Amino acid sequence: MRTKRRLQAAALIAIAVVLGLFTVQGTYALWSAAASASPGTVTSASFDTAMTAVNTGQTTNMTLTNGTAATLTLSPAGTLGPGTSVYGGVVVTNNTNAGGQFNAAITAGQPTLANVNGGSLASYVRVNAKSAASSTECSTATGFAPIPSTGLVSPTVVKGASTVFCFQIALDSSAPATVKGQAVNISLQLTARQLCGVPSGC
Amino acid sequence: MKNSTLIKGTAAIAVGAALLLGGGGTLANWNAADSATPGTIIAGDMNVVAGTGVWKDRNDKPVDISTYRVVPGDKLTYTQDLTVTLVGDKLAANVTLANIPTSTFNSDNVIVSPLKLSNTNGDVTSTTVLKPVTGSATQTVTATTVFEFKGSTAGRNDVTKDYKLGNVSYTVTQVTQDGLSGVTTPQ
Repeated sequence: MRTKRRLQAAALIAIAVVLGLFTVQGTYALWSAAASASPGTVTSASFDTAMTAVNTGQTTNMTLTNGTAATLTLSPAGTLGPGTSVYGGVVVTNNTNAGGQFNAAITAGQPTLANVNGGSLASYVRVNAKSAASSTECSTATGFAPIPSTGLVSPTVVKGASTVFCFQIALDSSAPATVKGQAVNISLQLTARQLCGVPSGC
Repeated sequence: MKNSTLIKGTAAIAVGAALLLGGGGTLANWNAADSATPGTIIAGDMNVVAGTGVWKDRNDKPVDISTYRVVPGDKLTYTQDLTVTLVGDKLAANVTLANIPTSTFNSDNVIVSPLKLSNTNGDVTSTTVLKPVTGSATQTVTATTVFEFKGSTAGRNDVTKDYKLGNVSYTVTQVTQDGLSGVTTPQ
């Protein structure tokens, strides 16, 4: 009897131990499967607009790498005399790397004139402008007009294309001899603006 | 008289012997036999395969995301079909995705709908139970996400920025049903 009970107990213990081992080791899992993908990266375009002086060929991006606006000196050819004009221009290029359509319009704002070294030349100088398709048009005297308060707006400039602004600097015929040899700084702002070309996107 | 008894006795013996001899020396109970074909147990199947993802612009035109550069006003949609195999009479499964994108865009200038799954019945969430469809071992679940660069983005904000979708993992996991005894890993 004792033996039988011992055997029974031993059997129970053995079974319990075995079950215990199975519980610790065992993992009961249902099926699973997996797949992976890499959709990629959405990257925004650059908004680079290049300016090139017609007379000198000097070029710069409208916005510098530090985010500030660039200044481009146009250096009109020739010297001013009463009743005469000198001419210059800038070629503006839409250099964006946009994937889709990216049209821009360039606006030339009204100029500001500042006398150099306390002179009085500025009050006798007139700045006129015209929009052109080619830089050669900057040498012709026709088509110039004062820039309105709203600015002179170029035609649409598509990706990779350019537009030209020509400037005429004229000295009044009434300019006195006292302004002879004086200098004036003329500056104006060019602004590039993306045109809404993405259907339903603006 | 004696002869009859003898004869009977002899006949009895002979019958007994004949019985013994007729059996070939073996006495056997009845037996009968037949055969059957229980059949073959075949396991079902479960799998997920991701197809090629496609990016399209607002005009539904495909774009190569590796070279395409978005501008304000752009809206790109990503679509990727998953082929889910479910074969099994008591098979049911969830489909979940894991995706952790990173972005350098100003959140004010973009609208991004997170990657999500759907099928012909609507959204497929982590708790949606998919079951085998009649007549086909596979069914399609579609992953989509939409990236919109707001047209109101001013100045030169967010030029040359990126939104990395990184890696996406799609996992199909069997869920237990009535009649199954499988459980997930015990706690």
